[in-house]
Amino acid sequence: MNASFVKASLARAMPKAYRLLGAAALVAVAAFATGCGRPFDVKTAPGLVELEHQSPDYDYRAISPEGVVMGVRVVDVDKQGDLEFWTRVTTLRMRELDGYALLGTEDVKSREGTPGHELRFGHDEHGKPYLYMLRIYVKSGRLYLVETGGPQREVEHYKSQLDWMQASLKLD
Amino acid sequence: MRDRDGLRAPGCGLRDGRRRGAALAAALAGALLAGLPCLVCLVCLACLVCTGCAAREMAGEAAAPVAGAAAPAPPPPPPPAGAPSPEPAGGTSGMLAMNDADAAKAVAATKAVADAPHSAAMLIYTATLSMSVYQVGPQLDAVEKVARDLGGYLSARQDASITIRVPRDRFDETLARIEKLGEVTHRDIKAQDVTDEFVDLQARLKNAYAVRDKLTELLSRAAVKDAIEIEKELGRVTEDIERMEGKLKLLRDQIAFSTVTVNFAPVEAQQVHESSLLAPFPWLDKLGLHSLLEVHQ
Repeated sequence: MNASFVKASLARAMPKAYRLLGAAALVAVAAFATGCGRPFDVKTAPGLVELEHQSPDYDYRAISPEGVVMGVRVVDVDKQGDLEFWTRVTTLRMRELDGYALLGTEDVKSREGTPGHELRFGHDEHGKPYLYMLRIYVKSGRLYLVETGGPQREVEHYKSQLDWMQASLKLD
Repeated sequence: MRDRDGLRAPGCGLRDGRRRGAALAAALAGALLAGLPCLVCLVCLACLVCTGCAAREMAGEAAAPVAGAAAPAPPPPPPPAGAPSPEPAGGTSGMLAMNDADAAKAVAATKAVADAPHSAAMLIYTATLSMSVYQVGPQLDAVEKVARDLGGYLSARQDASITIRVPRDRFDETLARIEKLGEVTHRDIKAQDVTDEFVDLQARLKNAYAVRDKLTELLSRAAVKDAIEIEKELGRVTEDIERMEGKLKLLRDQIAFSTVTVNFAPVEAQQVHESSLLAPFPWLDKLGLHSLLEVHQ
């Protein structure tokens, strides 16, 4: 192969490589912008930090210095069961199996308007009162579970931040 | 002879008292005329005064039932302002938290029942709820607040249970509000129809009033021998009347105010049962504070 042939081949291949690199960069940017492949978008409030690479069970989790945590799970339910079904299943599970006390329920909506239910539970951990809130949404064959919990006093202290994060949740 | 009878049988009515007064007056006049010592005259005068007073008292006692006989069976008198009435079924313990305003509402509600047409069913509503809650103390306070908000009052309160009384027309609303305070694990609601008992009691009371009036009238005209028997019977009838009046008052109160008892069980004391329902959804086992708060180093 002579030098002119190599030069010509490189000249033809370079634009293709640039295009591939550009496409890869676009995919990376898009993945970053949409929350690394999560089918939802949520903002982390000041005072909390996002925990990364912590648990495969959570698609998102953020924690405060005092141990108040908000986490989001997405479960593929293949369009089976509606919101009422999953709310009932979850309520029974929490109450009967773990002895969580249901303090109240509330109708909620995600940022883009998907209706959901919030279940508020009380539970003692090592003799101290803890609160555990679970919001349930069903959309596009997915079950979205938004959990918030921590020591009762701290959860009440962080109420405005947690409410803000909940309000920021947008489902795909 | 008549005057002597009057002197021998004191306390047998207005007419006898007057007879005694006349006899003493006659004796005093006779003594003065006969020239007895002044001391004897003074003793006689004192007796005359005492006898006169007794006659007036007897006249008052005899007049009261007669006046009552002319009127229909009297309803229970309204309590004075500020008095904690009507007395709840639970006795004085039921007045734990009843202020003047509550008492006024209670009187109004009881009066409404008394004024209700007899055709309407007389129902006593009671409810007993067992609830599972996270913290018992605040929930007890919440139930007490429900009672106050709806015009009722606290009847009894223990460590983990509370009994409230609420106006019967707020009964459903009360249950609805209480059931929001936690998980209801058991519900027992009863409506007892006491219409027959209520009407029967009213009729018997009316008859008893009539008997009492008749006996009072007879007593005023009876001879000594019969008077003792009539007084005994009058006492028995009066006792029956008081018992029936009390029972009627209690029924009115029970109808006007429904009783709601809530027994709380703290959740941590509950037995946790295994459930096979949720096996197909393994992700459910990962819900809860343990998973949420678990942070790896």
